[in-house]
Amino acid sequence: MAASFFDRESTVAPPGYNRFLIPPAALAVHLSIGQAYAFSTFNLPLTKLIGLSQSAPDDWELTDVGWTFSIAIAILGLSAAVFGKWVERVGPRKSMFTSALCFGSGFIVSAIGIHYHAIFLLYLGYGVLGGCGLGIGYISPVSTLIKWFPDRPGMATGMAIMGFGGGALIAAPLSLMLMEHFRTATSRGVLETFVTMGVIYFLFMMIGVISVRVPSADWKPAGWTPKEKPKAMVTSANVSVGESWHTLQFWLLWVVLCMNVTAGIGVLSQASPMIQEIFNGRVTAAAAAGFVGLLSIFNMAGRFVWASTSDYLGRRNTYTVFFLLGILLYLTIPTLGYKGSEPLFVAAFVVIISMYGGGFATIPAYLRDMFGTMNVGAIHGRLLTAWAVAGVLGPVLVNYIRKFQIDHGVPKAQAYSVTMYIMCALLLIGLLCNLSMRPVKERHFFREPGSDK
Amino acid sequence: MKIRLLVLWAAVGIPLLWGVMKTLENALKLFE
Repeated sequence: MAASFFDRESTVAPPGYNRFLIPPAALAVHLSIGQAYAFSTFNLPLTKLIGLSQSAPDDWELTDVGWTFSIAIAILGLSAAVFGKWVERVGPRKSMFTSALCFGSGFIVSAIGIHYHAIFLLYLGYGVLGGCGLGIGYISPVSTLIKWFPDRPGMATGMAIMGFGGGALIAAPLSLMLMEHFRTATSRGVLETFVTMGVIYFLFMMIGVISVRVPSADWKPAGWTPKEKPKAMVTSANVSVGESWHTLQFWLLWVVLCMNVTAGIGVLSQASPMIQEIFNGRVTAAAAAGFVGLLSIFNMAGRFVWASTSDYLGRRNTYTVFFLLGILLYLTIPTLGYKGSEPLFVAAFVVIISMYGGGFATIPAYLRDMFGTMNVGAIHGRLLTAWAVAGVLGPVLVNYIRKFQIDHGVPKAQAYSVTMYIMCALLLIGLLCNLSMRPVKERHFFREPGSDK
Repeated sequence: MKIRLLVLWAAVGIPLLWGVMKTLENALKLFE
């Protein structure tokens, strides 16, 4: 039977294909699903669908609406873990298309939920369907990029994962503009915005679906030959996704990612109130929003810069820098707060957030170094469960420790100091796991059936 | 191939640049 447009066989690139056509295909998907980081722009409007100017008794509560994002992120981690193997098998085009369908239709189902004011449809639409789109879309271009850029895997995956950070920069102003455009005397314009965004994101992701290609099995970049004796921390063998679970390296990397993300995400989730409370009366709400924006830009830029740097520094050294520099900066921040040094405080946080993004973007190349390219996408999918855990752990740590401190009479401006020291402890755990990383033992390597190699 | 490369990069680059500009406009309020 002839291969269909979506099959892996139809996506094999002809000789001479320019590999720099692949990163924009990956970016089209990641810039779209990165919208998730800007979902909070819908939080307040969704609580005023009936009351319009203020919440009516029948309107949804903010806590109810907040669950939508949490469900989406949890499903992201789960679907990346569950569908990773399928994504590897069917190739990037079919998986990107599935992601586009899920993500786009997630908005449409949510819009129906808004129309009937049925919150379970919002959870089902954006949370479950959209979450599957997030998970599948996040991992679908990763192994393809690694195969196209064997000489620069960090840079290639950094470029795509940078899109996930950058997606929020587009989605936040876009959603506000659309809601303003569709707003009438009887509607907040949220329903129409959801439908429009569902269509726009589906079409935008189709750019990636149409243009993505996989290299032929024997393809290599012109003039590049794999090193005969690869670096000690880079394997030339492959480990299957099933076997990777049985290696110490997988779990060390799981902790490394979890600790790095926990330290960053907790701060990101509380950035606006934190800077206003630490510099009480000196930082306005508008300036705090500017601080959040600045963090988003560094979150995005860090993904590309750090992942590209890791091609030269090595993955383990790059993470060592993340953890050591992170500990140093978190230790300094309370002092900067006491001294009222805003510029240094902001500078410390933008570096921390750049390393948070860098951690996400460097991990696929780290996995490739440890486990080879064969199942790297699927292994990456399973490792993303660390993100789901960190997504809960980070904000909970920051929120509860702050509340505990304030309840015990600590001034608000100083309520974050203990949190910073706890972040240092988490980073120290990550550092120790990273320093314990050694090459995977040969007994875990994949062998073709009947092969003695 | 070169035109295709240009069109594809523009398709993802222009929206991203727009988003960065909009965010920077907001971020500048921090330094006002």
